[in-house]
Amino acid sequence: MTVYNAIAIALGIIAGLSLVAYAGGNIEVALSTLFLNPLTTTFGLQQIFVRFVVFYTMAMGIGIALKAGLWNIGAQGQLIVGMIMVFVAYTYLGFLAGPALYVTMILLATIGGLLWIVVPTVLKVKFGANEIVVTLLLNVVASNFGYYMLNGPIKSPGAIGYPYSITLPLQYRIPNIVGTFPLTYAVPVTVVIGLILYFLVERTPFRVKANTVGESAETARYAGIGIGRVMVITMLASGALAGFAGATYQMGFLYHVDAGVFVYNLGFIAVIAALVGRKHMIGIGIASLFFGYITIGAESMATQTNVPTSVVFAMEGIMMIGVLLGTYLTERREAK
Amino acid sequence: MSVLLADVMVGVFSTTMALSPFYLFAGLGEIVAEKSGVVNLGIEGIALMSLLTTFVVDFATGNPWLGLLAALGAAGIIGAFFAFLAVRMRLDQIVLGIAVYLFGLGMSFVIYNALYVCSTCSAPPQFVNISHIYIPILSDIPVLGPVLFQQNILVYFSLLLVVGVAYFLDRTSYGLRVRAVGENPKAADNMGVNVNKVRFLATLAGAILAGLAGVYFSFAFVQSFQFDIIAGRGFVALAIIYLANWGPYKTLFAALSFNIVYATQSEIVSISSIALAGSSQLFNMLPYVYLLALIPLLGRRARPPKFLLKAYRKG
Repeated sequence: MTVYNAIAIALGIIAGLSLVAYAGGNIEVALSTLFLNPLTTTFGLQQIFVRFVVFYTMAMGIGIALKAGLWNIGAQGQLIVGMIMVFVAYTYLGFLAGPALYVTMILLATIGGLLWIVVPTVLKVKFGANEIVVTLLLNVVASNFGYYMLNGPIKSPGAIGYPYSITLPLQYRIPNIVGTFPLTYAVPVTVVIGLILYFLVERTPFRVKANTVGESAETARYAGIGIGRVMVITMLASGALAGFAGATYQMGFLYHVDAGVFVYNLGFIAVIAALVGRKHMIGIGIASLFFGYITIGAESMATQTNVPTSVVFAMEGIMMIGVLLGTYLTERREAK
Repeated sequence: MSVLLADVMVGVFSTTMALSPFYLFAGLGEIVAEKSGVVNLGIEGIALMSLLTTFVVDFATGNPWLGLLAALGAAGIIGAFFAFLAVRMRLDQIVLGIAVYLFGLGMSFVIYNALYVCSTCSAPPQFVNISHIYIPILSDIPVLGPVLFQQNILVYFSLLLVVGVAYFLDRTSYGLRVRAVGENPKAADNMGVNVNKVRFLATLAGAILAGLAGVYFSFAFVQSFQFDIIAGRGFVALAIIYLANWGPYKTLFAALSFNIVYATQSEIVSISSIALAGSSQLFNMLPYVYLLALIPLLGRRARPPKFLLKAYRKG
């Protein structure tokens, strides 16, 4: 984060507030809910960390693929598949019960995300197909798959009309660290994963390899780097992480799926977190925490001021452009 | 049975004809932009904003053509902004595109909501659509008639545009410049072409056509506005031109074939809704899976412009 990025984000927030004012919302209420609600209420704090976990896990994967020059725009699709797989495991492998089922739910979610990125990976490595196009298409397929599962295999028996899934029972949720305070073990686990990936990705020759592949395929070939291998590893890791994020999101907070989770595109925000964190595993963590805070603030602002939540998307769009401009200005200053 | 089959065929082909122009406008525009080296992932957002603009102006004036003009203006403004940031400032095109998408997605609904939704209002407002043109005599031909000769005027225009864009890119010196700055900006620059000016204009043209896609969507399908009403079709347009290897005629074929699959599955779903009982969403996946399956067959031949996504700096 630089001065310019901070200014950029401030501009995004001002733009968001003007939108709220335009839509007839009270600015004072908007300001206080945007900044204070997430920090002063237990629910707000919980939400920030829930988002942090989801964004960080997905953004690390996106960042790893980006190091090799690959765009995983489909983290949203992999996240959806991950979330669905949690319930597939719960519904169809219920006989496992206990810790075995618990682990299976997480594993299956991770594998689901990984499988979801196999198609773009194969198409990229074998056929040279553009991964942006394929991952975007698979987002649409994933939400249709999600709707199908929601209307049938994982549908709650109580759901009439608007479909939602069964709710995970207590023993299949991620427990709180301390008493009733809703901060779950998902947070430290994610941070540990972040640190492990930091050492694996930033502190080993892998970083150089991936960067070389990302910057110039010719140089990589000349240096004898297995381009296909690097691409496969980074893409699969990216998908697996997004699938894993689906597991922690469900088991740590939501406990059930409804159509809302297909619509709200957390994957795109994770792309931004990966970029604001400059593809660095620690930087991404800080960026994810920030985006957790700001998205929760913006959402509660929208609810409190009676403005549609879609105002958050508009704000994010403006903020993203601001961050790009900020990065541009920073780099120009650094170049001088 | 044969009567039913004929009905289904008419249904499939008229849906295909009705849907294709959206992908043609958005896709042809994106072809022009991408040929010059600029990817605009935000076409969906631009289409949403123009759709809303058509709605607002149309509703206020009762004249859909004024709505169309205003919508193209709105698309032009967003397009110029995008092009300036992507070409002149050399910002990351992918992130910029996602930003424009999110902006359009959120903004269009916020504006709609502020203007038309209130607790005391009854139904959401409907707006005036342009009517279909019925070409006399020809439109009475069974099957072919309703499919080919009872369409919105923009449908015919979209078909003309296929020829127009192909001619422009392959046969005119301006088209040559567009291709040159996407293939080899350095050489084009040495030949005296103002690389970034050509890219700016190509990107702007692409955005305006994305706007036209949004207008078409409102004219052809919807009487009122909803959140996320285009539902990812802008992204599908990107996949279609990729499969079409950036060729306008191939884009026409790709769009038609995608829509035939799409229309067939929606006909099947609507006819046998009881028999399918809840698995209609599986069928909804078909058209996208169809596109994905084409990639190994056609994607190998796809040859993107060499300097796609790469900003150009003089000197």
